[in-house]
Amino acid sequence: MPRVTNGSVDGIQVEDVRIVVVMVGLPARGKSLIAQKIVRYLSWLSIYAKAFNVGSYRRQDNPAPNAEFFSTGNTQGEQLRKAAAEAAVADMIEWFENEGGVVAVLDATNSTKERRRWIAQKCDERGYEAMFVESVCDHEEIILGNILEVKTTSPDYKDMDPETAVLDFKKRITHYEAIYETITETDLTYVKLINVGSQVIINRIQDYLQSRIVYFLMNLHIKPRSIWLSRHGESEFNLSGRIGGDADLSARGRAYAQKLPELIRESIGDRKITLWTSTLKRTIQTAEHLPYPKLQWKGLDELDAGVCDGLTYKEIEEKYPEDFKARDDDKYNYRYRGGESYRDVVTRLEPIIMEMERNENIMVVTHQAVIRCIYAYFMNVPQDRSPWMEIPLHTVIKLTPKAYHTEEERFFANIPAVSTFRAKHTSAKMEGEVQPELVKTEGDVQVENS
Amino acid sequence: MDSAGNPASQPPVYESPLCAEELETESLPTAGQISPPPLRRGFSSPEASISAIDFSSPPPPSRALDYLANTIQKNQIGIDIDAIHEAPLGSSMAPAQLYSTTSGRLYHAGKILVVTVGLPARGKTHISVAMTRYLRWMGVKTQPFHLGDYRRKVLGPGAELPEDYFFVKAGASTVKLRQRVVAACKEDVYRFLEQEGGQVAIYDAVNPLAGGRINLKKEFEKRGIQTLFIESFCDDERLIEENVRNVKISSPDYIGWKPEDAVKDYLNRINSKIPHFETMSREENLNYIKMVNAGESLEINNCRMIGYLLNRIVFYLMNLHIKTHVTYFVRAGECNEEDLYRTDSSLSESGVSYAQRMTKALLAHRKKEHETFIAQGGNPDALKPLTIWTSTRRRTVETGQYFPESYKRKQRPQLSQLNPGDLEGTTIEEIVAKYPEEAIKHKADPYHHRYPRAESYHDLAQRLEPIILELEREKSDLLIIAHESVLRVLYGYLMASRTEDIPFLEFTRDEIVEIIPASYQNVARRVKISDAVVDEA
Repeated sequence: MPRVTNGSVDGIQVEDVRIVVVMVGLPARGKSLIAQKIVRYLSWLSIYAKAFNVGSYRRQDNPAPNAEFFSTGNTQGEQLRKAAAEAAVADMIEWFENEGGVVAVLDATNSTKERRRWIAQKCDERGYEAMFVESVCDHEEIILGNILEVKTTSPDYKDMDPETAVLDFKKRITHYEAIYETITETDLTYVKLINVGSQVIINRIQDYLQSRIVYFLMNLHIKPRSIWLSRHGESEFNLSGRIGGDADLSARGRAYAQKLPELIRESIGDRKITLWTSTLKRTIQTAEHLPYPKLQWKGLDELDAGVCDGLTYKEIEEKYPEDFKARDDDKYNYRYRGGESYRDVVTRLEPIIMEMERNENIMVVTHQAVIRCIYAYFMNVPQDRSPWMEIPLHTVIKLTPKAYHTEEERFFANIPAVSTFRAKHTSAKMEGEVQPELVKTEGDVQVENS
Repeated sequence: MDSAGNPASQPPVYESPLCAEELETESLPTAGQISPPPLRRGFSSPEASISAIDFSSPPPPSRALDYLANTIQKNQIGIDIDAIHEAPLGSSMAPAQLYSTTSGRLYHAGKILVVTVGLPARGKTHISVAMTRYLRWMGVKTQPFHLGDYRRKVLGPGAELPEDYFFVKAGASTVKLRQRVVAACKEDVYRFLEQEGGQVAIYDAVNPLAGGRINLKKEFEKRGIQTLFIESFCDDERLIEENVRNVKISSPDYIGWKPEDAVKDYLNRINSKIPHFETMSREENLNYIKMVNAGESLEINNCRMIGYLLNRIVFYLMNLHIKTHVTYFVRAGECNEEDLYRTDSSLSESGVSYAQRMTKALLAHRKKEHETFIAQGGNPDALKPLTIWTSTRRRTVETGQYFPESYKRKQRPQLSQLNPGDLEGTTIEEIVAKYPEEAIKHKADPYHHRYPRAESYHDLAQRLEPIILELEREKSDLLIIAHESVLRVLYGYLMASRTEDIPFLEFTRDEIVEIIPASYQNVARRVKISDAVVDEA
């Protein structure tokens, strides 16, 4: 996605900012998680971003080094780690110059002043803005949680006995602690996040995009949590194949609402959760029997179909044939007459995504298009695919963000419902039909990585 | 004149920053003891908004631009005053508000008292007013309460201020007076938060001592109101002096003084009156943001409870500068072809001529302003260069091309005009004929209504949010060349216009609209292009 410039006027370019977000912090401080999140957030907002993980460059030559590799006394290890950093920076420059990158995230410990100075100079030479993001944490519990997660998900500890892995990793951290210098370089742009946001220090923010990234970071936390997503139960409008509206649930939709507490009971366990719905009846009714504190968000209302609200896809095709086609051609950007596009929905969901990042365990009962956008955010689904994803009725999707990916589980209520899914370039031939093949057995759980 | 800080020989106190009143946070007076005159008045028309400002007692000037804002002839035609000190309107949606709630409070943040902390000349009033503008724009009902205003109100017009008023150690009657002032202010704060559906009250005072701040927090906590302290801290001597110098330029206290002497005297006055300022620290266990050296760095402590709203505030503060700049709005010139959205055509002959006249007029106007400023003892270093922002559309870019090459220019895609959607190239009659129902809906709510495929003004306001933050960030004076729809929304932000008035704000090609910021309020002035050009000739 190249930056758009107006070539018609000599010597004037649109804002041409390129930012290198440089992670700083000891191992197990949630750096990779933060790096991934920055990339995901910016990409979701259509800003071209990419993470460069120095560890993965180092791994090319040293797939599974033990802790001694990271010791200060190990000059060979140090050289190899420097070489990995150089390789990552070289690729990053290549990406900026040839692929139109806007924000790169350099994911490594960058634990010494010397290393940071080197990076700052590299950026200066090319006119990139370096912005250091340090994650500081001395809560043993959080660190341990992170260590356990790293040992189970990091490629460094593939096939290793978990206890040995934890011991080795702790040793690795000790080696880093010996040379670690927290950021005090007041001439650099930096953000220091201390103990999951209990204190934040922000220094020398240079432009709006940087401030936007900091704003996002302030909303993040690195505590483990999950998000449960469900569409509303089948509605009267779903039955008649009409879109939009504010209809009540159908009998089967009410059955789903009845079953919902049981469906997720085990998965939620004794966790404290908050339940969010839209302001439309069908989501409120669906959440009716769930025993959690509830919030209604206007921002979670279904994509506004404008003049097409209340019509069936068939009627839309007949009444607005050009629109129907235009929507298929670019569903993400297509804006219903007097209504919204997926892009508009993403814009209005942004504060809600921020609030989701800030909160811990949440269940969201909302609508198809809205879930597609939220799902796309957490699972990194590109814009040409996200509006076409199938999000079946009567199914709960549980997302669990991890350092290197988001885990997904689905819980099927086993209550029949119509399919509201319409494939690209098809008319709505399925409308009103029950799709029994979409109903899977209860407890059928699929796990996949993003 | 004695500059050692002896109260007897001091110049008359003209401005509010020296407030030691908030050292007193003791008991509230019994109800009815004080009935301060209403501070705010309703807004009914632009004229009313001008008359709502009490010109007889000038607002506290604290920066160079305050001077400009205060010296403008208030009854002059083409002058408009910022509505930021008027009560936020009850039911109407704010320009960039995304949703509404029955309580009228947003982001699940509850009621919040924002308390400013900082020595005089640290930009507290500026921060209070700027935050109010931004939060209201988002739909958060916000109101600043400047303690200095209450001092003037309680004292009444023409009354002498006791000489020891600003001193920590004061006589019994002065202490009592100060208590009355604080009580009057708090009474309004409580009324705003508890009865008027307000969400954020900003208490603008010095609040120099940790003990007082902790008491304040406890007092408000009892009534279910969270506190957020915002300290403006400065340890850069150069910055302080520069700040004081700019402040003093605008104050009649120091007419005829050498700048160095004035700075010294002023700093002495602060030191003698507030000898013990305690900067905020984590030991106080308060929710606070410390802005160091005019926003160079920010420390945010214990604030997670305030949540999303806090993060929005920090987001804003990251972009806010203590120093501000003049903003000029002009229309883009006319095009060769029809005024179509999709075509990106060049300026027509008359468009070119407009661009040239506008450039000449603006340069002449700035020259004149600068000369006046210096002639009146202004510091030439305070003058700023001009940066030009346009959209990426050819006509806006070309309208700016006659300014000297050395001027910085930026093209910003967000500045492109309201997308007319299916209305492109249609006349009003055609719209009514083609979309009769839409036309009726549009008439009912021209700000929020969206024609088929078009953007509403509300959409445009959302899209312009980055521009608004960058506008706050900008350090140079700024010229924005854009379509009228864009100018309307940006003007609405800077002048706190009512949402429903924004679609009807007028910008003609015979005027440059100049927004002069002051810490207390902004002033808009319309400069006739024809006049300025004639003047110069």
